[in-house]
Amino acid sequence: MNTLIKLEITRTLRNKKFMFFSVAYPAILYVVIAGGASKAEIVKGTHLTLPLLMMVSMASFGAITAVLVGNSERIAKEREKGWVRQLRLTALPGRGYVAAKIASAAVVSLPSILVVFIVAAAAKGVRFDGVWQWFALTGVIWAGSIVFAALGVAIGYLVTGDAVRPVTFIVYFGLSILGGLWMPTAVFPDWVQSIAKWVPTHAYAALGQAIEQGNAPHFKDVALMVAYGVLFAGAAAWLYRKDTHKS
Amino acid sequence: MMVGMTTTATFTGEGRRTGGAPVVSFDNVSKSYGSVKAVADLHLELHPGETVALLGPNGAGKSSTLDLLLGLRNPDAGRVQLFGTTPQQAIAQGKVGAMLQSGGLMEDVKVRELVKLACDLHPRAYPLDRVMKNAGVEEIADRMVNKLSGGQEQRVRFALATAGANELIVLDEPTTGMDVSARQAFWAVMREQANEGRAVLFATHYLEEADAIADRVIVLHRGRVLADGSAAEIKAKAGARRIVFDLEGPINEAALRELPFLTALEISGRTVRIQSHDADSTVHALYGLGFFPRNLEVAGLGLEQAFIAITEAATAEEAAR
Repeated sequence: MNTLIKLEITRTLRNKKFMFFSVAYPAILYVVIAGGASKAEIVKGTHLTLPLLMMVSMASFGAITAVLVGNSERIAKEREKGWVRQLRLTALPGRGYVAAKIASAAVVSLPSILVVFIVAAAAKGVRFDGVWQWFALTGVIWAGSIVFAALGVAIGYLVTGDAVRPVTFIVYFGLSILGGLWMPTAVFPDWVQSIAKWVPTHAYAALGQAIEQGNAPHFKDVALMVAYGVLFAGAAAWLYRKDTHKS
Repeated sequence: MMVGMTTTATFTGEGRRTGGAPVVSFDNVSKSYGSVKAVADLHLELHPGETVALLGPNGAGKSSTLDLLLGLRNPDAGRVQLFGTTPQQAIAQGKVGAMLQSGGLMEDVKVRELVKLACDLHPRAYPLDRVMKNAGVEEIADRMVNKLSGGQEQRVRFALATAGANELIVLDEPTTGMDVSARQAFWAVMREQANEGRAVLFATHYLEEADAIADRVIVLHRGRVLADGSAAEIKAKAGARRIVFDLEGPINEAALRELPFLTALEISGRTVRIQSHDADSTVHALYGLGFFPRNLEVAGLGLEQAFIAITEAATAEEAAR
């Protein structure tokens, strides 16, 4: 199983195009969105600047992009080519495959987070009161991305061929918007807000927001993320073993 | 190597003697896709040491049978067992190695890395170098998997299927894309595996491979077993011998049809082609009936012709019903 994890990481790193876009894309998006914003102006209702808020949002969003979109498409392609069928004829348990996919996704999401942080600190002068916040944010956003990596594996197994891209994008944009990664959820109608509270991206964003304000993350958000992580990973492992389609 | 055994009962006896559960057992297994019955009430047993060829025209249910055997699909009815347990468990125990036609390979990795993965995942793996050498992939060890030719890919698949001490090896069209020398080398390794007491089951389009390598041939047709025995027996079943001769003057077809042991008759111009279960008796009767055949030739039927004869007869029978 460790060999598979190592091999999945190796081949991800070898895929230079995929690595480049996954790592560069969130940072570019950050520059586009926060580039013109003032470094000093405080966003209403917080004591934080827009560049700082956007840094956490874009790091989270970018991490999701790297792991969710990357995983689901690559897995659907592997199923089509029949590699998964071949792998199912080995003694590898379902959790081994899912663990390897999540590990290789995590290898992509970490640099994508760090690059956003570096760009924000260098170009927009983002600073925190405590150095611990940088580390905590990195840890929380990275750990949280694992939940979406598992979701990506599950989608890669649930959907076939041509449908993978649209389905992934619907899930990805739906979750990003509902979770408030692009705009505060306060602008939504009440009923949408009450749904939004329970989506994984909302809990994910809340973890980062608690830390940027100098607090510890709420227990409810952590619990929600863990629950979603178990659910997605379990579903992915089950689908891996169950998958009997050729493509 | 067992030669000339027909009945399942004989093989069951063999299995008991060696004291194990059958390597493979299909118990009235059915599988449909929509309205298409891919496998129909299939009953099948394989035993240690057998080398079995699975033959059948396209759509006969070969791939479905292999999928069911490997637990990649579940039967609608009946039970599939490997070594007395489920296919999934047998695979998890490292008892089965398989090379699928539809099996893809991981991309962006080197051949050696992929074969090493197969070795590391196998509960009873062989040393990596030995697996590489046996499969003939040493010289392409550092090549990227996605840059291989079709024949090289097949060799890598073969390495993956033989990474450890399997007791059953399943091969679906294993030599497709290989050149003649690669094919010969492949079967040499395969024979070695069989001689070590493993059961080998392979589906193939190359009937000469089945003829030369298998000690048991199973012919599938529309998801059923049409014939099951040694290659010699399959040929005998189809009408083992072919008699070809020319006749002078008008040909009395009705009289020819009365020949004993005749299974097929074809007349084109002055040439008569006959298939017979007993060529000696047929030729004897031919003279007895007053025919004077010229350029008489008697030859054995190839497995390919036997196979065509058997499946065509089955199709005609079904159409008549």
